[in-house]
Amino acid sequence: MAELADIANATIRQEIAEYLDRPVEIERNIALFARTRPLMQEIAVAVIEGDQVACDRLTRQALEEGVHALEIMDDGLIGGMGIVGIKFRENFIFVPEVLACARSMKAGMAHIEPILSAAGVEPVGTVVMGTVKGDLHDIGKNLCIMMLRGAGFSVIDLGVDTAPDQFIAAVEEHGAPLLGMSALLTTTMPNMGRTIEAFIDAGLRDDVKIMVGGAPVTQEFADDMGADGYGKDALACVALAKQLLGVAA
Amino acid sequence: MTGRQRILAALRREPVDRTPVCNPTSVATVELMDLVDAPFPDANRNPELMARLAATGYTELGFDSVMPVFSIIQESSALGCKIQWEQKDNWPTVRMREPIWRDADDVRVPNDFLTHPDTRCVLDAIGILRRELGEEVAIIGKTMGPWSLGYHCFGVETFLLMSLDDPGRTKLCLDRLKEATIRFGLAQIEAGADALTLPDHATGDLVSGEYYERFLKDLHAEFAERLPIPLILHICGRTVDRMGYIAETGMAAFHFDSKNTPDESMEAVRDRIALVGNINNPETLYARDPEAVRAEVFKNLAAGVQLVGPECAIPLQTAIENLVEIPRAVREWHASHAHPHAG
Repeated sequence: MAELADIANATIRQEIAEYLDRPVEIERNIALFARTRPLMQEIAVAVIEGDQVACDRLTRQALEEGVHALEIMDDGLIGGMGIVGIKFRENFIFVPEVLACARSMKAGMAHIEPILSAAGVEPVGTVVMGTVKGDLHDIGKNLCIMMLRGAGFSVIDLGVDTAPDQFIAAVEEHGAPLLGMSALLTTTMPNMGRTIEAFIDAGLRDDVKIMVGGAPVTQEFADDMGADGYGKDALACVALAKQLLGVAA
Repeated sequence: MTGRQRILAALRREPVDRTPVCNPTSVATVELMDLVDAPFPDANRNPELMARLAATGYTELGFDSVMPVFSIIQESSALGCKIQWEQKDNWPTVRMREPIWRDADDVRVPNDFLTHPDTRCVLDAIGILRRELGEEVAIIGKTMGPWSLGYHCFGVETFLLMSLDDPGRTKLCLDRLKEATIRFGLAQIEAGADALTLPDHATGDLVSGEYYERFLKDLHAEFAERLPIPLILHICGRTVDRMGYIAETGMAAFHFDSKNTPDESMEAVRDRIALVGNINNPETLYARDPEAVRAEVFKNLAAGVQLVGPECAIPLQTAIENLVEIPRAVREWHASHAHPHAG
């Protein structure tokens, strides 16, 4: 079994030692970074530190050196974002820092996505996400989207104030097996239930898993309205998405 | 004591005959709108309707205060933000995806800020409430803090990223935006407000306690100096990590969320500031029954919270029977307990 000392990059070693507490997460990250090449670890550090300039440069360098785009995404960008998500969940960092990390990842993905797309590489899964009708708040939904993309999902972002028929149209158009809905207001929470009812009325409920979240939403509320799952934060959203789609954690 | 006397004494942490029931944020509901024929969205834009709906906090619910500002958009509308006014069963919201500013150099409080219909509405409603309710009940106004206005005017993500990329420019934005907070606050005092809620959403769900100290603590202390009536700071979410800083601002009270327990919050502020709260909205007031409400009221009273009320603007579909249970439970508790803040 790999050990912390097997990781070449000192910053990655320090991040794992200082911020990770759960044995399963420590073990997974040590195993990942102990086997990745040093340049991938540098890319992960650029994501963790929110350094978009470095992430852009290192990603281009890796491609020029012949590293496969999928390896850069999995070992560098997603690897880095995995640690970012844990630090956010544990309140070591907050939303401004996560936004900067996601911006860095995006700078790297700008070079990776066209290559993967041209090669026909499939994402982990496709998720349609949106804030429900009557609600214009999107920071929570956007954090979930950043973490989902950071975990390799393809996300269709419908934005805010999304009507049930817009959710239905997007799920059908993209053949998405998973839908995520967010609400910040207690007044708009019921629109999650109305959207689920619209999927039932359209005869599509069995074709799509539905997850919900947002500040006032609870597991009890999610159960009452017939959702398939509830995520209390962005990292829980990713775990739930993997669980609902049967993707390995 | 009258409700007004009770609220003002508690905000000064002076003796009271019983714990006041306070609503620093909205207690408007659809039921109350129907009762007095003052529905949203008009009740957010017409001073007569705004005052009529606000008065129900006293006349129907039996709270010791009234609060005519049901949303957080009045100043932002006057600053130029686009507003989605919504329907009777939903709050108006700023269209933050359509920001009006990009940089500190764009920040400007318009000359007509206080004569804009959506700020004027609040000032006129406070005047009506003062005339109609006299000295019986405390009138609480609301002036938004610069951090919240930053979200509205720049967009949440842009503003938060700016705070990380360029803290100096962010502080400049806040310094310029504070004039909106102060001007609207002073105008409400002149109109007859007894106290002001100052929402400034530097919540633990978004930023760290250290962020509060770095960007807002001094500004909030300045508000406490320049606005000469009791200020009630309102920040949603988990905030116990910044309550120590908040307690040092000189504000009269902090309106705290149920994500923080009354005991840990009282411990964090250590009697340097009064606390207002913190009956849970979505799980208790909205979804449960008077018995559950009573249990939360008792928990706050047992912890020594100085003013009891909902944690934030209540869900519009909240049942009146759950709201009237708050003052009822306060009276019931005092009938059988020695009051820690009694004279």
